[in-house]
Amino acid sequence: MSLFAQAEPANSGWLSTGLLLAIAVTSLAGSLWLLLPKAGRDGRWPRRLGTLLGVAALGLFIVTGQRLGNLGEDAVFLIVSLVAVISAAATITCRSPVYAAIWFALCLAGVSGVLLVLGAQFLGVATIVVYAGAILVMFLFVLMLAQPSGLAASDRVTNEPLLSAVAGAVLLGLLSLSIGRLSAEDPACCRPPSKAAALAGETTSPAPVGETVDLLAADQVARLGGELFGRHLVAVEAVGVLLLVALIGAIAVVSHGLEGDQAERSSLQEGGRP
Amino acid sequence: MTPTTLLAAAPLPLLQNGLMVGAILFSLGLVGILTRRNLIVMFLSAELMLQGISVSLVAWSRYHGDFGGQVLVVFVLSVAACEAAVALVFVLQAFTRTGRLDSAAWQSLREASLARAVDHEIPAIDAPLPVFPRLTPAGVLPEPDADAALQREHV
Repeated sequence: MSLFAQAEPANSGWLSTGLLLAIAVTSLAGSLWLLLPKAGRDGRWPRRLGTLLGVAALGLFIVTGQRLGNLGEDAVFLIVSLVAVISAAATITCRSPVYAAIWFALCLAGVSGVLLVLGAQFLGVATIVVYAGAILVMFLFVLMLAQPSGLAASDRVTNEPLLSAVAGAVLLGLLSLSIGRLSAEDPACCRPPSKAAALAGETTSPAPVGETVDLLAADQVARLGGELFGRHLVAVEAVGVLLLVALIGAIAVVSHGLEGDQAERSSLQEGGRP
Repeated sequence: MTPTTLLAAAPLPLLQNGLMVGAILFSLGLVGILTRRNLIVMFLSAELMLQGISVSLVAWSRYHGDFGGQVLVVFVLSVAACEAAVALVFVLQAFTRTGRLDSAAWQSLREASLARAVDHEIPAIDAPLPVFPRLTPAGVLPEPDADAALQREHV
């Protein structure tokens, strides 16, 4: 299954694809605008309409490609990516921050499924462990610590929902246009020229295709580890230092902030509350 | 299996689908971080954008048959963990100063030429809050604790 036509043979076919894409972008913008919490009337019908429009936009994005023939082959990919995308939309449109965080957990499950399908086994597991296991629990902890009762008023309104929905949908349309124009013809253009060729000034000559790795081999995780601690050892060390610095910085900010300046705090409270 | 057949086994459609999922996640995260006002939800949206980038990198890695993309995603994960730790500390500091998780509580930091943002109307909660079931009290009523009365219930 491909989301895109492999090539556009005639102008009319390209036009219809472009038209479909435009309709998809428009309906996505409308659905996001309807779904986002905003001031004014916030009934149930706009939300239902927004959900319908969003489903229509998703279907249009899928239909934009005309090769839905072998859907069964990629059914797993389709299912996990639909889980990821739908729960991501629910994350940003949900009123309650706690529900948003839980939708984000489901989105992480979908993303890790996508990573598994794409052959990144270690990353799929690490996403669940690091994000859902550590980061998301910290977010939920802060949320429940900070908002013990009810829904804050600021969660029921948003900044500029129409403009932002249009901006996001247009960005998605542009990205999907450029993704659809990818072609397998000249992969050498994307590879950096080898050092010797660059030194010799032969920047235009296609670089020799490097040795490809079997990403789906049984010892994929071991190979990833070998790559990580072989070629990228210095970067791993740097990331370790970064983690340590972030830990120390977080502790330092907490311990200094607790004895904060009282006068500054009171002035901020006067000036900060609308 | 030679490398060429491997590349043929991971063809362009899989790359395009992976990139498409990544692009959708990135756009949704962008909309979220632009619109939402809760600081935590803004950070969730930023994490959503990072997820989109990770999916795209892994799709490229699969396409090229190279571990570089996956290694980069490992670094993205580590930096996201650092960012979450530091950001949550700042969010907690902001919360203890203003008492709210609203980003509009910090609008005194805006540009001098911009007008103050005021919420004109707040939509009411359309559905009543759910009533959760409670256990019927059983057993002996505990003695009131003098120490517990001094402790505050809410932060």
